[in-house]
Formats: sequence, C-alpha cells, structure tokens
Amino acid sequence: MTGVDTRDAPGPSGRVVVAATGVAKRFGGVTALDGVDFDVRAGEVHALLGENGAGKSTLINVLSGVITDYDGEVAVDGMPVRFTGPAAAQAAGIATIHQELDLVPALSVADNLVLGREPRTRLRTVDRRAAARTAREHLDRLGADIDPRRPVGSLRVGEQQLVEIAKALALDARVLVMDEPTAALADGEVRRLFTTIGGLRRRGVGVVYISHRMEEIEVVADRATVLRNGSVAGVVPAGRMDRRRIVAMMVGGRAASLFEPAPADVAGAPGPLPASAGGDPLLHVTDLAVRPRASRPGRCEPAGISLTVRAGEIVGLAGLMGAGRTELLETLFGAGPAGRRTGTVLLAGRPYAPRRPRAALRAGVGFVPEDRRRSALVLEHPVGRSIVLAALSRLTSAGFVIHGRERAAVARSLTDLAIKTASAATPVGALSGGNQQKVVFARHLLTEPRLLLLDEPTRGVDIGAKAEIYRLLRRLAGDGMGILLASSELPELLGVCDRVVVLRRGRAVADLATGGCTAEDVLAAAMGGPAAGRDDR
Amino acid sequence: MDKRTTLLALLVTGALAATGCSVEKPSDDAGQARACGAGKDFLIGMSQANNAEPYRQVMNNDVQTAAKSVPGFRVVVSDAAQDNSKQVADVENFLTQKIDLLIVSPNEAKPLTAVVKKAYDQGVPVIVLDRKVEGEAYTAFIGGDNVAIGKAAGEFYATTLLPGGGKVIEIAGLPGSTPAAERAQGFRDGIAANPKIQIVASQPGDWLREKGQSVADALIKTHPDVSAIYAHNDPMAEGAYLAAKSAGKAQRIKFTGIDALPVPSGGIKAVEQGRLAATFQYATGGREAVELARKILVDCAEDVPRTTTLGTMRITKENAAEAYAKLGGL
Amino acid sequence: MTDTRVPPPEPAVTGPAAGTAGLRGATAHWLRRPRSRRELADRLFAVQSLFALLAVFVVAILASPRRDGEILFLTAGNLGNIVRAVSEIGIIAIGMTFVVLLGGIDLSVGAILGLSAVGTATLMVDSGLGILPAVAAVLAIGALFGALQGYAVARLGIQSFIVTLAGLQVARGIARIWSGGLGIPIAYGDGPQEAPPAFELLNGSINGVLPVPAVLFVLLGVAAVVVLRTTAFARHVYAIGGNEKAARLSGVPVTRVKVAVFAVAGLLAAVAGVVHAGQLNQGSPNDGAGYELDAIAAVVIGGTSLAGGSGSMGGTLAGALLLGILNNILALNNIDANVQLLIKGLVIVLAAALQKLRRGLA
Repeated sequence: MTGVDTRDAPGPSGRVVVAATGVAKRFGGVTALDGVDFDVRAGEVHALLGENGAGKSTLINVLSGVITDYDGEVAVDGMPVRFTGPAAAQAAGIATIHQELDLVPALSVADNLVLGREPRTRLRTVDRRAAARTAREHLDRLGADIDPRRPVGSLRVGEQQLVEIAKALALDARVLVMDEPTAALADGEVRRLFTTIGGLRRRGVGVVYISHRMEEIEVVADRATVLRNGSVAGVVPAGRMDRRRIVAMMVGGRAASLFEPAPADVAGAPGPLPASAGGDPLLHVTDLAVRPRASRPGRCEPAGISLTVRAGEIVGLAGLMGAGRTELLETLFGAGPAGRRTGTVLLAGRPYAPRRPRAALRAGVGFVPEDRRRSALVLEHPVGRSIVLAALSRLTSAGFVIHGRERAAVARSLTDLAIKTASAATPVGALSGGNQQKVVFARHLLTEPRLLLLDEPTRGVDIGAKAEIYRLLRRLAGDGMGILLASSELPELLGVCDRVVVLRRGRAVADLATGGCTAEDVLAAAMGGPAAGRDDR
Repeated sequence: MDKRTTLLALLVTGALAATGCSVEKPSDDAGQARACGAGKDFLIGMSQANNAEPYRQVMNNDVQTAAKSVPGFRVVVSDAAQDNSKQVADVENFLTQKIDLLIVSPNEAKPLTAVVKKAYDQGVPVIVLDRKVEGEAYTAFIGGDNVAIGKAAGEFYATTLLPGGGKVIEIAGLPGSTPAAERAQGFRDGIAANPKIQIVASQPGDWLREKGQSVADALIKTHPDVSAIYAHNDPMAEGAYLAAKSAGKAQRIKFTGIDALPVPSGGIKAVEQGRLAATFQYATGGREAVELARKILVDCAEDVPRTTTLGTMRITKENAAEAYAKLGGL
Repeated sequence: MTDTRVPPPEPAVTGPAAGTAGLRGATAHWLRRPRSRRELADRLFAVQSLFALLAVFVVAILASPRRDGEILFLTAGNLGNIVRAVSEIGIIAIGMTFVVLLGGIDLSVGAILGLSAVGTATLMVDSGLGILPAVAAVLAIGALFGALQGYAVARLGIQSFIVTLAGLQVARGIARIWSGGLGIPIAYGDGPQEAPPAFELLNGSINGVLPVPAVLFVLLGVAAVVVLRTTAFARHVYAIGGNEKAARLSGVPVTRVKVAVFAVAGLLAAVAGVVHAGQLNQGSPNDGAGYELDAIAAVVIGGTSLAGGSGSMGGTLAGALLLGILNNILALNNIDANVQLLIKGLVIVLAAALQKLRRGLA
C-alpha cells in the first residue's frame, strides 16, 4: 500500500521477550482461546491476524494483564509470570495501545506523557519546564513534530497515537501491543506510523501488530500468526506472506472473495460495477460550501464541492484524513454545524437543503455514520428496537407502536441483511462488529431511502461481513438506489464504486472512473501538490 | 416486571369497579376509647413537626423526661421533618399502632386538622401543643401566646432598652408562619407606648441563624444608625449579632431574641454571655402536656382545661443563670 | 486420551429465524427456559426492584408489631395509608422517570408541586373558580413551566441539572409571591372564600379503604407503563437517553421530545400539587420541599440508570412503594427518626450497588 518496506534495517532479533504457551480461556460456555502458543522477539513486528471473534483481543488481554484467570503459561525473559493486572504487565515492559486511546483529552501532550510521574520542583509543585523537556525528548525520539503544550484533544488521531506510543516508550516498554492502530488513520498517517514502527524495531522493541488490513501486514510485519476460533491456524514468516493463503487460514475452508464479481486480481479489487451507472442524476451538488457559525477544530467543512450521484450508482469519496469527507456527508444529511451555505444541491431535481437529519430522512436520504458506537447505536438497547428507530413513524398508529408491524419489519430486516443475533431482544452490544453495522444499515434501509450516504461502512468489520456489505451495496444500487460511499480504504473504493470523487481540504479535486484508474491515481489526487501539508510525509 | 405491575394494577382497579366505588369523605371509625385507670400501661404517640429545630427537640426532651416520672407511660416520638404530608402519615401510623393518647405539635394547622379529628373521633385523647389545629376536634391545647410574648418584648424596648427611642430592625420568622405574624403584631402593640421607637426595616430570616446573619448584614449597611435588632427567635438574633460584629457595630447595637431554650446554644446562654440584651421564654409545654395526659389516663379526669396558655419569662443578664437551671438546662 | 481436538462450541448466535422467535413478546421470553446462567441472572436482575419490593413486604410483615393478634402492618387501613403516603412522590417519580431515561434530572418538581398547591388553593378560594377550571389552569401552568425548562435544556444546551435548579428557585418564588408567603387554607362550602366541597374527595377514600390519591397514583402509573412500553415517543426517549447523537441522526425530533418530557414532568408535579392541596386542605408555598430527591430515590431504586437510556416505569412504581413500605414499617416500630434516615440511605446505596452488579455481569 505504501511501497515503503520498513524492514530494511532489521533490529537485533532472536531473543524472545514474551512468550505465551498453551494459553486457554473460556467465557462461560464459549472457548475464546484454546491452547495458543505465541511469542514476541526483541526487534520484530509480529502481526496477529484473525477474523472478529477469533481470539485476538483475548490473547492481547492475557498478555497485557487485563485477564488474570487463564490456563497455560506466560513467560517474560524466560521466567514464568502471572500478572496481577495491567499495571504489573506494564512494569514488566509490556505496553498496550488500544483502539480507544487512553489519553486525557483536556490535558496537554506533556501532561499526558508524565501523567502519574510528574517531575516536581523543590516546592513539590509540578515542574512544567522539566515536563515539557521530557515530553520533547520522547517525541523527538519518535520523530514526532508535535507541540507538547497542545491539548491532546486538539490533535488528530494519528498524532494522538504517536503520543500514546511515546508514553509507552517513556515507561521503557520492550513490547508494544498495537490493536488496529491504523483503523482511524488516513493513508499519509499510516505511512508515518510505519516509519515509527521501523524505528522501534531498530531500537529492539518487539511489536505485536493487529490489523484487518492485509496490505499493511505485508509491508510492516516480520511474521504473522493467524488465529481462528481460538487456536493458532498458522504462522507465516515475512517472505512467504501470500495474501490469499493468509485469508484462507483466517476463514478456514471458506473461500474468501470480498468483492463480487470474483476479483480479477489477488489484491481483491474487482474493477467497477457492470454499467448500472446510467440512471438519472439523483444528487447534484454544485459548488457546495459551508461557513459554520462557530468553527470547530479538526473539522474541514465543504469549501467548493461539485459532484453527481445517479440513481443506481455507487460513488466513492476519497481523501486523506481531514479532507472533509465526513463533513460533506453530514452536510448532505443535515447533521453539519449551523452556518451559511453557498452553492446548490438538487435531490431528484429539487432544491435540497436539510437543516436537520429528520428532514433528510423525510426527503429519502439515509446515513450510516462513521463511528457506530458514538453516532448510531446504544449498545444496551435491543437489536429490534435499534433497527426500527428511524422508521417508527411507519410502524405507529396515533403514536402507539403496532407490535405486529414492528415484528414483521424487524424479521424482514434480520433476514434481508442476514443479521446474526440470538433474538431481536438481544442487546446490540452482544453482536459482532459486522452485525452491529448491519443493524445500522437495516435502520436506514427501513426508511426506504433513494440516496444512501455511507461513512466508512466497513470499519472494524471482519472480512466475511465486509463481503456481505459489498454484496448488499451492489444489490441496493441494482434496485436503483444512489450511494455515496466515503472510505479510507482505496481497494474498497476501487472495488465497489463506479466513480471516485477525491476531496482535498474541503474541495473536490478529481472525479475518476474506477475502470481506468489505480490506487496510485487516487492517492496522488488526494495528496495534491507539495502544498498538501503534513499528511504527505 | 412492567407486565406484572400492570396486571396488579388492573386487578386493583377491577376490584374497585366491582365494589361499586362509593367515595366517602374521611371516615369516622368506631370509637376505640380505652379504659383509664392507675397501674396500667399506656402508649403515648408524640408527633413532632421537625426534630431539626432545637425548640422542638427541647419539647421532645421535656415530654420524655416528664413521662419517665409517670409509671406505665411509654412515649414514642415521630419526626415529620417539616413536611405536612409526612406528619399526617405519622399520625396515621400511630393510629395503626393503637396509641392511647396523641400529643401533636403540628407543622401547620390546616393540613393536620383532618387527621387529628380522625384520631379524636376514634376516641383517642388528643393534646395539641404549640400550634393549634382548626375546629374543635381535640381534647386540649397547650401553647404559648406569641402576641403576648411579642408584646412583652415591645414593652421591654419601650421602657427599658430604648426609653429614649431609636431605630429598630426586625428580623422576622418564616413568612407565612403564624408565630412570625403574631410576634410581629405583639411587638408593634408593645412599642406603641413609646412613639420615638421606629421600625425602619423588617425582613424574614426564616428562623435560621445564617439567614438572620445575611439579612442583618445587608440591613445594617442600609441603616447604619440602627439602635437595636428585634429578632423573632434567638438563632436569628445571634446571627444578627455576628453580622454587626463583623461590621464593627456589635457594641452600639442591642439585640433581643425569643424562645430562651435551656440548651448550650440557646438564647439564655447568649444573654448570660452578653451577646443578647434579652430573650423571652417561649415555653414548650412538654411537661404540662404529660401532666395533662396523666390526669386523663391515670386519674380518669373527665374535665381537663380546654386551653392552657403558657406564660413567658423575660430573661436578662440578671436572671439568666437562674432561669437556665430552672428550665432544666442541659 | 484422544488426539482429536474437540471443536470449540459454536458461539451463541443463530440465524434470523431464531431472531423472529425471540420477538414473541416478553411472555414467551419468560416462559422459555433460560439458555444460560447469565441469561437467568439477567432475567432475575431485570425484576430486581419487584423482588426487593416483595422482600421488603415480607420483612415488614415479619417485623410488624401486633396488637390483639392482629398484624398491624397488614391491616387494610394501614396498606391504604402506605400507598396514599407515597402517592405524591410516586406521581412525581413517574414524570421523573421520563426525565432520567432521557439522561436528565429534574430538580424543580418539588417546587412546582408547591406552586400548584398554592395555585389550586388560590384559584378556588380567592378567585372562586370551579374545580375543573382551577385544576385545568394549574395543570397547564405546571406543563408550561416544564416545557420552558425543556426548551432551555434542548435549545440552549444547558444541562438539565442547572436549568431545573434555576426552575426550582423560580417556581418557589412565584409560589411565595402568589400566596403572599402564607399558606392558603381551603375551606369548603358554597360561599365566598370557600372551595367547592367536591374537592374534598381527594382526601377521601373509596369504600373507606382505598384512598383516592392512591388510586390516582396507581392509575397514572398504569398509564405510564403503557406509554413507556408502546409509544414511539417512549422509544425516542430511550434513544435520546442512550445516545443523543445517534437519535438525532436517526431522525428523532430531539428538541420536541425533550420539551415534551419536561412538560410531562411538570404536568405530573402539578397533578401531585393538586393532590397535595386536596389532602392537606391547604396550599402553602413551601409544600413539596425536597420531594424531588425522594422521587429520584424511587427512580433509582427502581433500577433506572441516571446515565439515561435504560430503566422501566414498573421499576419506579415498585421503588416508590418500597420507600413507602419502608417508611411505614420503620414508623410502626418506632425506629428513631434519625436512624430511619440512615436506613433509607443504605437502601438507596444498596439499590445502586445492585445496578452496578447487574451491569458488571452484562
């Protein structure tokens, strides 16, 4: 994906720092881990692969001291240990960087880095200068150009991750566990992270790297362990990483075909859809720009976007982190910040300027947001109720929900989208990521939209569910729905969409037909010239 | 859960419908008058409006101390915490316990009237303390006369404290409470004899020390030439004293309170220690109530005084120590 | 020993067919044998407030003083008294449940009760209005007051704690001004300065056993249970309380729902105020002080999460009754008033701890 191989300078390899032998763990009746062997050597990047539910998180939790009651043995430097908690694991040199970063947003970078170990002056007050100096040192070692005085909350996710890594190194971590570190990163930031990881290897830090993205593993990992159903399905050294083989290990006997029709090449990019893309213009955006009344840091509102989505067409939205993809979708859904809009938006030929999501839904527009936990679901609420939330008005009479109608709608959704749940009363949180995402899809499909806005619809979703979502999008487009799909994964954009509109800094800079372009073309447009900023590095 | 609750409620409603739903006004149960006489055990319910007030705490103490000296008497005390509804429930609970006599110190008159009548109609003798209830459905009322107390205070101002006249600030009790209105009225009657005394401000202190302090703070600033502060109770007078002290005027202004409770934080001690110029006793009536109860239950007295009005006592530096001891100071 | 590994059991997910089966309503859910210990635990916890209510009831029977062989606690009069005594708190708690489910809190309900009691008394006694116009006016004022608070919460984005804290002061202030700071006694009769005698029914009881306020409380409770289980409005409340952003993005009219919820809370507080005036034959501006806290206690004991998004109305009703029984049995046994406070505090903490435990297992 990046073309840069960070393994050019292998660190001091060989010595095993942490080893798990025959580790097993059961949750109630479910076996999460079943006799897993796994070790990390100094200076290696060891990828941990597997579908959701394969046992990756459980293994990580054992290694990092979150889970303390397990069978089997964990050894550090050859000595058997049993961590009493995360603090003990940290003291032994094992640091974990979770997907949800453990930083205090309101505190500065420096304060976060010295949290709990603040340098003191003689008067026992916090020595701010010493703290800033320490922070500066740690960040420099990573080559991170971040002002230690900035509040963490104002940093981009990629920068926050660097702070988290710096924090781990400040604690003399010898093994760094990274759980899907690139899930929230744009491509430029991913490359930057890989450079950092390369540096860690050279310093002899062992890295456990968890990711769903095969192309990253190929670039960054020295070897990969594949888990399936709580057991090790195989260990693959760097030289012999064959994407198809790894995917086969992950899914077992099942054939892995992400995109339909069957991919022409191994990369999984199937080329564009058969020409369904000839319908009438459904969404027609001309020079759309928004000047918000109060600007929020980290947001990039539309600043001149023109694009068209036809009925039956899937249009991709590409762009680096912060290019304004989410902001465009939110504006189109009436969920953006209040402010002055210029330009025109036509929906099926009529002026369309929703001021709240309710209006957008009424106009026949659906929206699957980026972060389903924060923006779409209540994990404690039952699956059935979560599905019907947006379409309640169709299921009620005089304000009372008609149970029969609701039951039928839920049953239809569960079948249509093949949502795997014990019952409609199961809390959404008990479902796998893919099935949670399908619940969000189902909610918006029940409103029978003509235009569907999707923001990173396959993030945190395992391969099987991804393929299902792609098939679903095909089917919906085939039925005449227009789809606008924002994604950070280029293969996804190129594989699913008819066209890709590339955004940079709130502007549409390219409109590429996926038939005749490559990932490099899209990336080049997204990064633009030398003026494109820090993400380019 | 919800389903079951629903079911239960439906059953209840159904039962109501089946019984014809005649709505009755507060019912008069059959009398349950008890045999009086010596050598028996008696359960006395004491429904207190608010234990958090020191005055009422002293009243409880007086009742309990006095009851100890009567063989066979057992007193149970409930605290309504200043809530009329709670006090109604308290009395209901006493009736459920089948008490032999009710002593009630009502939080407010009107809300307690119905339930006190219910007790009385059931044949339970009722002694109402301090605040009256409405109507005639009680055995006896014992209380102080707040108008008289206010008047005594006013006369003290007119003749002793400010014979040459002066400006007075009044810090009143909780707006809407009868004692506040009566102590205000009586005071005005009392000072009428000396037209040179002038009330320049009157603000409520809600019976509270801290409120008295903050009110006095403000009023002393607007009326720097004030000669005396008349507070409707001792805690507010003490609060006013603190306010004046921080304004550097504690020596120039005279303070009086009402209540004179025989407790360390009470007005008698404050007079003895020179912070207040005087305070006027507002008797609890606790001892008198138990004595009346003894007459009704033990002596089988048919005819007890319908109304007992307790007198007041002026407490100044001269008699403070003596009064403290006499009132059973703790 | 055999070397064939036993494959790990399938995780407990099944196809969509089972999904529809699970929809067969709560009854079927209850009759079905629990699939796992956790499910059993979930189900037990789901009705914990009912269990707690039953437990307290049984304890109360055992602990009840007896006279002439009669269990005083169980006498019809006493049971009626219990429900009557909690009826005002209970009615307030119904509205409070909606607010808490929304993720908010309403501190103004006690003050609105006072305002409504004053309003009822003033309008009937001083203004000479009939029962219906007076009550209608008072209820309208309560609902309007709540709606204004809801508007401030929803549109100005101020936390409900702060808005209703301010509302509490404002309502008390209005009540004091309106009443002149005095309690307004309600006398009954046809003359001037007298209220229609029919209003005294609120202080009466049906067949001498069931107090009217208690019946009103139960009826409102049942209605609220139905509303919370079956209306789109309730779904919207749960959704906003669980995740406001998600609710907004799903087209839930967030502002409208918030305004409506606070209006309902104000309306029910006004109902309680009317009942209060009727029960005590007086409207005093200080009435209902601190009632908001008792109502919140009932809601919390009933298992509704203060974080919003989860809880039930049945739980609140059980919580209110539990508080009532607790108050009653402590009083019947003449437990010292100060000790009573301790016990009630412990019960609230215990209820919250049970909630925590439930969430820990889930």
